[in-house]
Amino acid sequence: MDTGETHMDGGHVDDEGCGGNAAPYVLGALTADEHEAFRVHLESCSVCREEVAALQLVASALPAAAPQLSAPPALKRRVMSSVLDDARRRESRAADVRASHDAADARGGADARVAARGGSGGRAGAWLRWRPNVAVATLAAAVIALAVVALTSGGGAGGTRVIPATIVFPRASASLSVSDGRAQLDVAGMPQSALGRVYEVWTKRSASASPQPTDALFTVSSAGDATVGVPGGVDDVREVMVTSEPLGGSRVPTLPALIVARVS
Amino acid sequence: MFKQLRAGADGSAIASTAAGLGVLADEELMQLVYSGQAAAFEAVYDRHADAAFSLAYRMCGQRALAEDVVQEAFLSLWRSGARYDRGRGSVRTWVLGVVHNRAIDALRRRTVYDRGRVSEDGIEERLVAPERTDVEAARRDEAREVRDALRQLPDEQCRVIELAYFGGLTHVEIASMLDTPVGTVKGRMRLGLAKMRMALGDPAEVL
Repeated sequence: MDTGETHMDGGHVDDEGCGGNAAPYVLGALTADEHEAFRVHLESCSVCREEVAALQLVASALPAAAPQLSAPPALKRRVMSSVLDDARRRESRAADVRASHDAADARGGADARVAARGGSGGRAGAWLRWRPNVAVATLAAAVIALAVVALTSGGGAGGTRVIPATIVFPRASASLSVSDGRAQLDVAGMPQSALGRVYEVWTKRSASASPQPTDALFTVSSAGDATVGVPGGVDDVREVMVTSEPLGGSRVPTLPALIVARVS
Repeated sequence: MFKQLRAGADGSAIASTAAGLGVLADEELMQLVYSGQAAAFEAVYDRHADAAFSLAYRMCGQRALAEDVVQEAFLSLWRSGARYDRGRGSVRTWVLGVVHNRAIDALRRRTVYDRGRVSEDGIEERLVAPERTDVEAARRDEAREVRDALRQLPDEQCRVIELAYFGGLTHVEIASMLDTPVGTVKGRMRLGLAKMRMALGDPAEVL
């Protein structure tokens, strides 16, 4: 849409429903059909997109104009009751799936042996029913085996050992690359550190030892990526950890670890 | 209600305590909500429930309906949290947007003439949120700025914005109610929002 007319006069409306619909759109004042049509229109009209973006900033501030009240405590109890019920159901389903997989692995192995010996059709049928689980288990075992081979044989170029780290954020990943006693931490998909805080790298030399601070403080890119060297050698380090700390870092961790990589 | 969320292979605790969650940014908490962490959801609720209820009550004018709207909104957040896109604004803006849409749905299920904005007597006094932290005090000041910017608009512009945003009315319904052409209603909305933007500077910082 480019008619040369300005959108700023509020009166520009053409056959595409352009321009004049930006304000009612951000205020939620279009009907459902109009809203959807304008949303589709936005995909092809950069002028309207810019106008919506500008007006949306104001619309997003409007809730603050409502008198500010406290949500009733009973409301929270109702909401959290539903949430915890959901969480319990999810956990129960997850436990069922785990149990099912365990049973599949056990039965798959036994039935595979029976099938190899020309066992009964019933048992073979059971094996076939469990086959997807067995396939997954086999694939997982193969991946683990390859990883073990890679790690124990020096894996990457120059004898680099890549150690997967445990990370609290489900969609993030972290790994520690160790080469010649030096380590580098790579993270991906990490959330931005909270305002006034920074990520700090720690080393731990034994299970009972206190984490030792390092000079490695870092933030992540907009994509959540970062690469940071672990100061000092890691030959006698058991774990490399990351916590969220106030700007400038801390001498002792103020919060539990977000990332833990087991070096030895 | 906070519980341990996860432990490392050797049993070492990984960011899971109430204190740990308390310092996480909203976006970090949402990552935990995605994975079904009820404690993280509770932290998000605690941060934004007052604002959500305030908006819902302002729109619905009835405590019971406002509570239903907020409950629906937060449960939809919990059950489909993956829809949050940090590129489209803060978690607070997103939560309030969900509440706004839910309230509009609730209002539009009623007839236009049922949509009185008359509040229940005294509820504001009973439920006024206290200023517990510096952040809340700052938000109170910023809210005052938004209210002032709205009040300073010409009456006809303020009216259409309030009827649309807080009343849940469509531009056609507003035009009919005010006996004014639809194009004029849209123009007033546009001009009012543009003036508020100038008055607020960068309203993205307000919330």
